[in-house]
Amino acid sequence: MAGIDTGGGHGGKRATNHEIPLIPFIDFLLCLVAFLLVTAVWSQMARINADARVPGPPKDEPPEEQKKEKQLNVEMKGDTKFQLVWKEGNTVVNTIDVDRKPVPTGTNGDIRFPDLAKKIEDEWTANGAHRAGSDKKFDLAILHTDNTTPFSDVIAVIDAIYSPKRDFDFAGKSEKVPSFNVTFAVN
Amino acid sequence: MSSEKPLSRFHQPISVPGRRLMHSIPLSFVRRKVAGGGQRSTNHDVPLIPFIDFLLCIVCFLLASFSASGELPVDKNVKLPNAENVMDMTEAPMVAITGTQILVDGAPAGNTRAIEEANRLQRVDELFNVLKNKRELWKQINPSKEFPGVVVLQVDRKVQALVVKSVFQTAAFAGYPNVSFMVGRMGK
Repeated sequence: MAGIDTGGGHGGKRATNHEIPLIPFIDFLLCLVAFLLVTAVWSQMARINADARVPGPPKDEPPEEQKKEKQLNVEMKGDTKFQLVWKEGNTVVNTIDVDRKPVPTGTNGDIRFPDLAKKIEDEWTANGAHRAGSDKKFDLAILHTDNTTPFSDVIAVIDAIYSPKRDFDFAGKSEKVPSFNVTFAVN
Repeated sequence: MSSEKPLSRFHQPISVPGRRLMHSIPLSFVRRKVAGGGQRSTNHDVPLIPFIDFLLCIVCFLLASFSASGELPVDKNVKLPNAENVMDMTEAPMVAITGTQILVDGAPAGNTRAIEEANRLQRVDELFNVLKNKRELWKQINPSKEFPGVVVLQVDRKVQALVVKSVFQTAAFAGYPNVSFMVGRMGK
């Protein structure tokens, strides 16, 4: 076993040779590991982001003229289809209908919309404006829902909107992030 | 005398030891067996030092990931939806919508009945005031830092979109434009 040998203990003095009690130390460490494992939190919780586009504080200078960008409006009004509408300001550029085909997943009654996710991915590939990793801005998706739509359906649609991914340079590293920022339509 | 208990070995008088098992006794077959007898030795040292190093590494890792505050406070009445394209949780004020009640970090902050009765998007004044106070308190505590404006909404899967949008808008007006929805992580 581990020990400290200083070769002392002669001349009637107490021996300076000592054995370190490793077995109790190992027992202590094993108890500590067991306790920490039992109390560890293995959380499955996550978050899905949405940005509120609220006006900032008023400034004295007149606001800069901003270039109107294309925005993807996802309308989930009605039970049979989604409507993807590209708008530039108030001008409608393009409208695409997608069948509403919910695919159940898991046992909790969760649903997904893989067809919608695929279509949104195709649309972003064709029309997305912010693609470069160095581009700090994101394309905007505006979600229009009925007032009575359950929250689980809203999350399923936001999840589909977040399916296209792009590179984003952050702190010298490039990572994959959702291509769109999602916000809600007020009306 | 025979009824007396025998003395323990510490109390026995010192006497000349009797015969003991010594080298002279030919147990060479045992010695040979232990030494391997031409084969691999059966004597083994357990490598304790690497084992202790390994345990110390595990302890360090578990201590680093240890959360003294425990699990994230998810209300038992709230059944969260699951999603695939998610981000890791962040530390932020938690707004829970349970039934008709709105809670901010577990404390009541209004209810949703007024929104449902009006059937239109509207600001929840009580929630607005609680969040605004929290923001001002954060700014007083951290005067040199920029306010992150992040709030996490914990919403039951059956809650209507109208209520979600009203709470979302209230949070935004109270100075929390970065709203996140708490969801379960769905495997890809």
